[in-house]
Amino acid sequence: MSRAEAAGGTGTAGRTEAVPAVGRRPRTTAGFLALFGNELHLTFRRMRTKVLLGILAVLPVLIGVVVKLNTDGPHEGGGGPSFIAQTTQNGLFLVFTALAVALPVFLPMTVGVVAGDAVAGEAATGTLRYLLVAPAGRTRLLAAKFTAGLVFCLAATAAVAVAALATGAALFPLGEVTLISGDTIGLADALLRAVLVAGVVAASLAGLVAIGLFVSTLTGSGIAAMAATVGLVITVQILDAFPQLDAIRPFLFTHYWLSFSDLLREPMYWDGVLKDLGLQAAYVAVFGSAAWSRFTSRDISA
Amino acid sequence: MTNDKATGDELDGGVPYRSRRRVLVRAGVPVAVAAVIAAGIGLVPALAADSPPDLPTLTAEQIVAKALGSQTQALSGTVTVSTDLGLPSQLLGMAGGLGGAGGGVGSGGTGASGQSSPADPQGKLLGLLGGDRTLRVAVDGPEHQRVDMMENMAGYTMVRNGDQAWAWDSSTNSALHLIGAAAQLPRKQADQHPGAPLSELPTTPQEAARQVLTASAGTTSVTVAGTANVAGQKAYQLSVKPTQSGSTVAEVRIAVAADNGVPLAVAVKSTDGTTVLDLRFTDVSFAKPAAKTFDFTAPKGAKVTEKKADQAAAEAAAEGKAAAGANGGDHEHLNVIGEGWTAVVATQLPGGPVEVPKDGKHAGRGSVNPQGLIKSLGKQVAGGTLISTKVVNVLLTDDGRVFAGAVTLPVLQHAAGVN
Repeated sequence: MSRAEAAGGTGTAGRTEAVPAVGRRPRTTAGFLALFGNELHLTFRRMRTKVLLGILAVLPVLIGVVVKLNTDGPHEGGGGPSFIAQTTQNGLFLVFTALAVALPVFLPMTVGVVAGDAVAGEAATGTLRYLLVAPAGRTRLLAAKFTAGLVFCLAATAAVAVAALATGAALFPLGEVTLISGDTIGLADALLRAVLVAGVVAASLAGLVAIGLFVSTLTGSGIAAMAATVGLVITVQILDAFPQLDAIRPFLFTHYWLSFSDLLREPMYWDGVLKDLGLQAAYVAVFGSAAWSRFTSRDISA
Repeated sequence: MTNDKATGDELDGGVPYRSRRRVLVRAGVPVAVAAVIAAGIGLVPALAADSPPDLPTLTAEQIVAKALGSQTQALSGTVTVSTDLGLPSQLLGMAGGLGGAGGGVGSGGTGASGQSSPADPQGKLLGLLGGDRTLRVAVDGPEHQRVDMMENMAGYTMVRNGDQAWAWDSSTNSALHLIGAAAQLPRKQADQHPGAPLSELPTTPQEAARQVLTASAGTTSVTVAGTANVAGQKAYQLSVKPTQSGSTVAEVRIAVAADNGVPLAVAVKSTDGTTVLDLRFTDVSFAKPAAKTFDFTAPKGAKVTEKKADQAAAEAAAEGKAAAGANGGDHEHLNVIGEGWTAVVATQLPGGPVEVPKDGKHAGRGSVNPQGLIKSLGKQVAGGTLISTKVVNVLLTDDGRVFAGAVTLPVLQHAAGVN
């Protein structure tokens, strides 16, 4: 399972067509799309990616079963993860519970693995130099890898949300949904909100993709890059828990992650969500440009 | 391809990689991006807080009259509450059980009850005393009010609609329903100790401003402190200062909307210079809120506790008495000593007068012994134990009496008759 294999399959065909002259790269969007398609293939055809998505899909099933067993027992109401009280009333809320549980640990872990391995993994297996021989350009390659990382964020969030919806529908009643402001909305409206929330959750991982990509350009070891990225997520969340650090907490990329719950009020409260998205954009700008700066000016010897 | 600089000539548009100039220029890009973003974060608030608006000059009396006589009946908006009282967190947890010992700041103290609904407002309002909160409020006359407390991944909603009142707590999926002419959810303890400003917890700048401006009229100097923009509205700033010495409150600033006299922000500064309470609209609209805002029905599957309003009040009173009786002391109700800003609330601790050795070491450690708790938190002063926060000071005398107020220690000692 390596770049050479994937590139030997679908990738090179698209690329050789798009090469007009040696040393001059094609300045077309088709060139980028070929590269992006290739990256996407590489990411999602890996067994590792499939296993990660599978784990993410099992998590909501686990939560659903535990909540179901628990509410049948004596410990009704109170305690446990967020939205538990709502989940027992409506299966749709399992989507939000599962996202709230997965967002601090599982989602960033999988994203960290994918983003951290993006460049460093190729360098480690020795396939990066072959990629760069093709006249695709390093900037474009990096952009393709970043976009593929974003698609993985969407896929990972969707895996959690869809599995949670299926589990919730199987174990709990569906129907009108009570929001956390006490208002009730119809099921179709609530599904729309679930899609919106999943989109916001996926977007709030964008900053992490950029950080992972940057770390990945620093080292030639895929494992080191993954471990550093995941370790960073954990460290930042620990820092975010200290009230003494109030001055810097609003600038930590995990700080507004759970603000998606504000979309479950009537009317929706966008303040935290917009701050979150703005913060992610800032992280993408800073670490994206750092990754570009590093990747386009270093020697690739492996 | 090797690492050797001389042969590091992989081409990308004819420029060799790894040329020193290129590396430096590229390394500068992320630094520049970070600098631009940091500057943006620093500048945007500075630009948003643009120069104070030009408004016709009014005297302080005119602005106070404008604020108190405001005819605006309907509004909706977002309120942020940030408090920095420096309260010991254990004390917050005990506050309900203390039977009003924290009455100087709390929402009254009759909330000690075991069987009340989890949606009971008392505890939730006390929660406002710690940290930053965001509330959404909607008001349409005295009959229709709604306050949404936005908690972390949960919500707490209080709605009053005519003779119906609801409190809904999403984290426990429970609701409290009050029916009756006087369906008034929290508080209204102010009439018991009218002399003390901010003696109940306000959830909107209006309430806070009204408390400050009416409760302490005789002991206050009010001046105009320029103008400001609050929540996109032009506003006059009032500076309210206690004229009595001995208060720990240095200044209260109130922003009053120039258009309609609605108070938009209240900030309380203590004598050590910190802002202990900041209550402001971050966004406000004076349009009439939609009628369905105040339409609340119990969510499907929620645990609903039904209460008649009069019955609820009676119960609260009975509970207070029972608590006092059970604790054996000849528990008097809250006494207010002094008036205005230096008012001191005095009460007898539940637990009654306890034999405490002079060194104070032998105080009970049990979780139900408030005296032991206070002694462990406070420091010894002449006449008892002092718990000191940024604004409120509480003196527990050795014979179990409690004196609390937004005043300095000598005032408390004077009230307690200690020299």
